[in-house]
Amino acid sequence: MEKVEITRKEVYRYLGYKNGLIDEKTKDMIESCIKELEQIAMPKFIYQVYPLSVSGNRIDFSVFQTNSKHLGINLKGCSKVALFAATLGIQVDLLIGKYSKLEVSKAFFMQAIAAAMIEDYCNYYQHIIEKEMEKEGLYARPRFSPGYGDFSLEHQKEITSILNTPKTIGLTVTDTLILAPAKSVTAIIGFSTTKQHCHKHGCEVCKKIDCEFRR
Amino acid sequence: MLREKLGKELLFFDGGTGTILQEKGLKAGELPEVWNIEQRETIIQLHTDYLNAGCNIIKTNTFGANHLKFNENTTYQLEQIIVAAIENAKEAQKNCNSQKDTYIALDIGPSGKLLKPMGDLSFEDAYELFSEVVKIGVSCGVDLILIETMSDTYEAKAAILAAKENSNLPVIATMIFGENKQLLTGGNVLSTVALLEGLGVDALGLNCGLGPVQMKDILKEMLSYASIPVVVNPNAGLPRSENGKTIFDVTPEEFSASMKEFVEMGASVLGGCCGTTPNHIKMLVDTCESMAIKEVTNKEITVVSSYAKAVVIDEVPVLVGERINPTGKAKFKQALKDNDLEYVLREGLTQQERGAHILDVNVGLPGIDEVAMMEQVVPELQSILDLPLQIDTSNVEAMERALRIYNGKPLINSVNGTEEVMEAIFPLVKKYGGVVIGLALDENGIPTTASGRIEVAKKIYETAKRHGIQKKDIIIDALAMTISSDTSSAKVTLETLQRIRDELHGKSTLGVSNISFGLPQRSIINANFFTMALYSGLNVAIMNPNSEAMMQSYYSYLALMDKDEQCNNYISHYAGVKEDTIGTKSTSLSLGDSIERGLKEGAFEATKELLKTTKPLDIINQELVPALDRVGKGFEKGTVFLPQLLMSAEAAKTAFEVIKTQLATTGQVQEKKGKIILATVKGDIHDIGKNIVKVLLENYSYEVIDLGKDVAPEVIVETAIKENVLLVGLSALMTTTVVNMEETIKQLRKAKPDCKIMVGGAVLTKDYADDIGADFYGKDAMATVTYAESLNLLTSHR
Repeated sequence: MEKVEITRKEVYRYLGYKNGLIDEKTKDMIESCIKELEQIAMPKFIYQVYPLSVSGNRIDFSVFQTNSKHLGINLKGCSKVALFAATLGIQVDLLIGKYSKLEVSKAFFMQAIAAAMIEDYCNYYQHIIEKEMEKEGLYARPRFSPGYGDFSLEHQKEITSILNTPKTIGLTVTDTLILAPAKSVTAIIGFSTTKQHCHKHGCEVCKKIDCEFRR
Repeated sequence: MLREKLGKELLFFDGGTGTILQEKGLKAGELPEVWNIEQRETIIQLHTDYLNAGCNIIKTNTFGANHLKFNENTTYQLEQIIVAAIENAKEAQKNCNSQKDTYIALDIGPSGKLLKPMGDLSFEDAYELFSEVVKIGVSCGVDLILIETMSDTYEAKAAILAAKENSNLPVIATMIFGENKQLLTGGNVLSTVALLEGLGVDALGLNCGLGPVQMKDILKEMLSYASIPVVVNPNAGLPRSENGKTIFDVTPEEFSASMKEFVEMGASVLGGCCGTTPNHIKMLVDTCESMAIKEVTNKEITVVSSYAKAVVIDEVPVLVGERINPTGKAKFKQALKDNDLEYVLREGLTQQERGAHILDVNVGLPGIDEVAMMEQVVPELQSILDLPLQIDTSNVEAMERALRIYNGKPLINSVNGTEEVMEAIFPLVKKYGGVVIGLALDENGIPTTASGRIEVAKKIYETAKRHGIQKKDIIIDALAMTISSDTSSAKVTLETLQRIRDELHGKSTLGVSNISFGLPQRSIINANFFTMALYSGLNVAIMNPNSEAMMQSYYSYLALMDKDEQCNNYISHYAGVKEDTIGTKSTSLSLGDSIERGLKEGAFEATKELLKTTKPLDIINQELVPALDRVGKGFEKGTVFLPQLLMSAEAAKTAFEVIKTQLATTGQVQEKKGKIILATVKGDIHDIGKNIVKVLLENYSYEVIDLGKDVAPEVIVETAIKENVLLVGLSALMTTTVVNMEETIKQLRKAKPDCKIMVGGAVLTKDYADDIGADFYGKDAMATVTYAESLNLLTSHR
């Protein structure tokens, strides 16, 4: 698999640097942390495509059903849906855990890098899925994860169980709905026959406008 | 009996279950085990088809059956599901037309949870989960227990212990490897074989994840290490997706052709996993049934392992770092008394960086609950280091607890030739696995001659054998005794080493530095004796890797004795190092500047310099704290960012360490401003934020009691009362765990009303914090420091 480039701008944003005030020494440290993480990360993903029907807030993934206004908007006009999960693997958690105990500045760098890294991998994987679906004349909507808007975190359970992620990619959910390994994503990707150019996702769809990481 | 047949005749497992049930209409996300009751005929038919195809062992449809999935809140209870599964299998045995002896395997798959510390399932809870399944299975009369598709050796260990402690049935464990020849949790083939064999399974092997083609190399490696029968249950190729359906491509013909090769290579139990069908199994049995089984041979390989690494003890001597041991170390003793695990972790990490292959762990100290400490330190070390550990204790209970919770096959320190010790320790070694050090001494003391020590070694081998422990899992300690009391003692030790190698063909170890006890400049004698010992056949050196002289001896010996290919190791360590510059770095930056710039080395050197002229407390008040304040102010103003703040904090921490060491020499301690408890609340497994706050508070001279992550409210309350703590900091990351934060606050208010509570974490806001009744919302790490500074946390009694 080809190497996915980590978006530096996002790393800096997660670290709290706004608008390029970052010094060279810190940049070097970040680069060395990136190397260390890239060596041990074992990114993996899995997805399955299912027929989808949406009527207003009522969404039927054929493998499970839910009510969500926000997801309903995202999926409007879609006929198929991919359940998607990806993870950087447990070694990333172990490494961050190690530095968290012994050198917390490094842990802080690493968790920001890993956060950017999982997003970059998800984008890369989504691209693979999009290519596959375009063969059927279907076009993707932005990824939508449990926890966005009114789409409950509870749905992580359904996604991981349907995709059998503990076995297929080593991704589990704790009783308190935390993904473990931590640097992981579960999501829904809608597909419709019409291309949608306005790809809003991430901060733009989030209602928490006082977040310090907001773009 | 099945146990007698394993490895003596070829046996065949059935094939896939889940994939076939999906074909027959099992919906995505639906639990296949429910079909034991709701689609009983389908399950019986599936078993019957496999038996008719000629397999010997069918797996019950219980892969995911555990208390997490079937409990008081579900339609069917766990017991119902398992009982039905076994009845179905028995029914198929009656219905089938097979003439063979057939067996029912109680199938146990992974829990679907990650074990702590990465996930939320504790090792003992995992054990209980599996025990429940085993007990039900055994009461219904299964023939063996199959633990399969495990990607985590720790979870596999919990399941194997559950199987063995609740039954006398044969236990087979098969693991799921990736194409990179690793488990998802990082284990490799050798480390996995070491752990499984150590736990005494009857057969081990591979299943799922890969098709036969991809499994071949992994199987080959596994067969080269395993001294017990090897099982191989591949998928019908790698899965691919077609129109939303998962397809496995390998045909029965291709499948059986590969499996034929596997029999030739030495696999003795064969079957299939996902995507394989009764047709695959029929073709497999028809092709391989009449083939000769390759004899399972004992592999003379001495190996210890962690969850991720295996260390082979052979021609190239290995180093056991001896520094995690309080004996003679005032600072270490204090760290243990203060429950300062970070100190222990740093000792471990430093030794790994210095080149240790294994770490000795000894936490025995009068006044310390050694059992509890061992239980705490072993998982903690394993959470940050992947080196195998040497469990070093004379407390049998501490030994057993450590062996139980250790993830891997440890080195065990130690037994000796006395009956009493051997009878206490060998059963533990047999049960949990391990390579054990046998001290060449017995009831009559330490033999003064090499011959005497060799005799004791023989006795140890023999007794071990009676307990079912092979010679390859024993390492004889030839005993280094100081030459300052008996000048011939080194000669005796060296002769003993040679005779262990040449006469006993065994493996040897020494606590090398004991040789110089009582002499000046011990490192000179130690390093030279070390070279002599290595030359005399020493396999495992228990030594101090932080001693440069010792490491020089080691790398030189390897280079000189043709054990270092092209001297690569030697060169990589010493090329570019000028002979006279070791340890003479200098710095021109002041302590304050070093801290502001976040330079740890600078802070270290500058503090050492300052200590020559300035009192420790003056350094703290005049240099350290003002520098920290400047950085803190910058952070509040937004000119300094969090990464810089943290690097500065760590530089300051380094300076404090230097000062602490200086103070310790004169018996002084730094004044603290009071105790603060920090904890990530129950259910939350992320703790970077909490650890950031900890570093800052410590720099401001607070004594932080770090309770870790996923901490129950009761533990926090109990500690607050016991330690009379006046400020508690709680962190939570998720909306789902803030409820536990609220509960903790409620309990604290009731039990310790004079205690202030500050909270922080990604999802919290000031309003939210007020709602749940916190005294203070820390929007960032500095804010918590400012809050703590505004309180008086000193209590009259400490």
